[in-house]
Amino acid sequence: MTPPYGLWWAQIRAVIRLEMKKTFFARRGLWVYLLALAPVLLFMGRAIDLMRVRETRLALATAHPVSAETLQSIDTGMTIDEVIGKLGEPDSRRTFGRRRRGPVVMMSYTDGQDDYTFTFIDDELRDINRRDHPSLQQDSLIYATVFQFFYLRLAIFFGCVGIFMNLFRGELVDKSLHFYLLAPIRREVLVVGKYLAGLIATVVIFTTSTALQLWMLLLPYDASAYLAGAGWHHIAAYLGVTALACLGYGSVFLAAGLLVRNPIIPAATVLLWESLVMFLPAALKKISVIFYLQSLCPVVAPPDRDMNPLLALLVSNAKAPPAAWAITGLVVLTLVILALAGMRARRLEINYGTD
Amino acid sequence: MTAPPPIEQSLVVLDDISRFYGEVLGVNRVTLTIPSGITSLVGPNGSGKTTLMNIITGLVRPTRGSVRILGVTPSEPERLFRLVGYSTQFDSFPKGLTGFQFIYSFLRLFGYDHAECEKLAWKSIERVNLVEAAKRKVAAYSKGMRQRIKLAQALAHDPRVLVLDEPLNGLDPLVRAETIALFRELALEGRHVIVSSHILHEVDMISDQVILLSNGYVVAEGKIQGVRDEIVDHPMEVLIRCNRPAELASKVFHEESVVEARLHADGGGLLIKTRDANRFYRLLNHIALNGIEIESVAPMDDNVNSVYEYLIGGEEPGR
Repeated sequence: MTPPYGLWWAQIRAVIRLEMKKTFFARRGLWVYLLALAPVLLFMGRAIDLMRVRETRLALATAHPVSAETLQSIDTGMTIDEVIGKLGEPDSRRTFGRRRRGPVVMMSYTDGQDDYTFTFIDDELRDINRRDHPSLQQDSLIYATVFQFFYLRLAIFFGCVGIFMNLFRGELVDKSLHFYLLAPIRREVLVVGKYLAGLIATVVIFTTSTALQLWMLLLPYDASAYLAGAGWHHIAAYLGVTALACLGYGSVFLAAGLLVRNPIIPAATVLLWESLVMFLPAALKKISVIFYLQSLCPVVAPPDRDMNPLLALLVSNAKAPPAAWAITGLVVLTLVILALAGMRARRLEINYGTD
Repeated sequence: MTAPPPIEQSLVVLDDISRFYGEVLGVNRVTLTIPSGITSLVGPNGSGKTTLMNIITGLVRPTRGSVRILGVTPSEPERLFRLVGYSTQFDSFPKGLTGFQFIYSFLRLFGYDHAECEKLAWKSIERVNLVEAAKRKVAAYSKGMRQRIKLAQALAHDPRVLVLDEPLNGLDPLVRAETIALFRELALEGRHVIVSSHILHEVDMISDQVILLSNGYVVAEGKIQGVRDEIVDHPMEVLIRCNRPAELASKVFHEESVVEARLHADGGGLLIKTRDANRFYRLLNHIALNGIEIESVAPMDDNVNSVYEYLIGGEEPGR
């Protein structure tokens, strides 16, 4: 007998319609939005700060123009008068008195791009500090770190815990799951419908967040050169990895919601597994979501020498497979987990309390 | 898979069903064949009524035994729930929905299109007299309204088998009467209406047959009268209203099947206890032909309440 695909699709759409409102507007899911919004706020703050600093520099440079060449001609050993003679009065000047010794004088200049701070001790230039204006290249590395370190491993991870685990577990807690089980719907079809509802919600929430983060990243810069180069590819890759993270983690936590009552236990177990997986043999690596996601990230997050060893453990990457393999591997892993969830759902019983 | 015999396709059949929750017994060795009409499950709290209903509808799997509803097993929900509607005792609903949306969304899960769902939803809402409240949120409904919307949900897809867990709970007398009339109507249409109730006189009124449960076991099943007849330890009580009760007492007292004859307190009747009701009724016909005017003859303890008391003792029937 031919499976009734038309009926299944209609039922899946009905499940999605029912779940959408609950998934997007549930009060208990508010924290997921905050989690998704956090990196947007971070990069928005940075963008605002960069633009403010740049505006100030330009204003100073316009009021008191100094060329980069003149600034670079200043050498240690010069006196305050010699420097002022070459550059004119500084944009700011601070003097610190020292007991029984001459004062420390710090004078700041800008050429509109970089900041220079000259430090004089006993009227002699001892130190020249040049602070570069941040570049898009540097910020891309920062973004890669935040994306892999915080966004993938924590924000999307826990966002998926919140949304996908609630699809079944939340309804068991609310004692409303039986309404689904009283309809003539295959349990596997119900699993697929709920999964797709969760996937739509998480993909919308988290890819919107990724897009906003990238917009904030590029906002302070003239990004035309970046976009003409690898920029669009990077943006597409980040959005794709975000969606794939929802796909992979979603299946894991949907299945977990069918198996256990307390969401903390599977969340902690999967987090630990995802962190330790790099020490495992290649075959076992393939049953983690982060293994595939990291290999798809367009920019490798730089290791931080000062990083806590425990955190460093989290960021380390396994040997990356090619992108096509990574995507295929993740999709296969997701399908296997969903198949197991469907089998579990077939044996699902309603036992909210006592008889 | 072998097809069930044709007779099974019109029955709800439970064969040697047991269900344990760990060490705790839910139901044990239940074998039942339920025909169409109204069947009531009666028993005190924890007797296994809800477990039995959940097993019939596949919400709970039996530890042992098998179930077939009109030839379909509960392991095929996609087929089962086209035949079965279940109004559970769980008093919780999907959040944020109006009564109409609740029924409509449920029907969409059947794969019906928008127009069909609207039509069926309104039809079932009308059937439970909830049209005026249909556009209000279920969360704002009274207990009785929630019972009715659950009943509407169970009825919405026009099922052949209705399983209703305490459907009369929380209903006011008028609505209760309307609902009982609806059950009657559904039974007359040839459907199976399986009801659990703890209100025994209503069970008496509405049931074609009863299933008495105690501690997870079926202690009796069948038509009330039949069940009562089988309880030989307790002679049947019959109240006879007549013009000369003392004379009647003297006439029946020597009858072998009569174990006790007592004048009623108001002096207008006689209370008889007999071991053979049929024989006694035949005797009564004979007496009536001999000049005593008999106004009424009413069995006093062939109701669920008495049957329950005789079979299960002093236990209060509950859910």
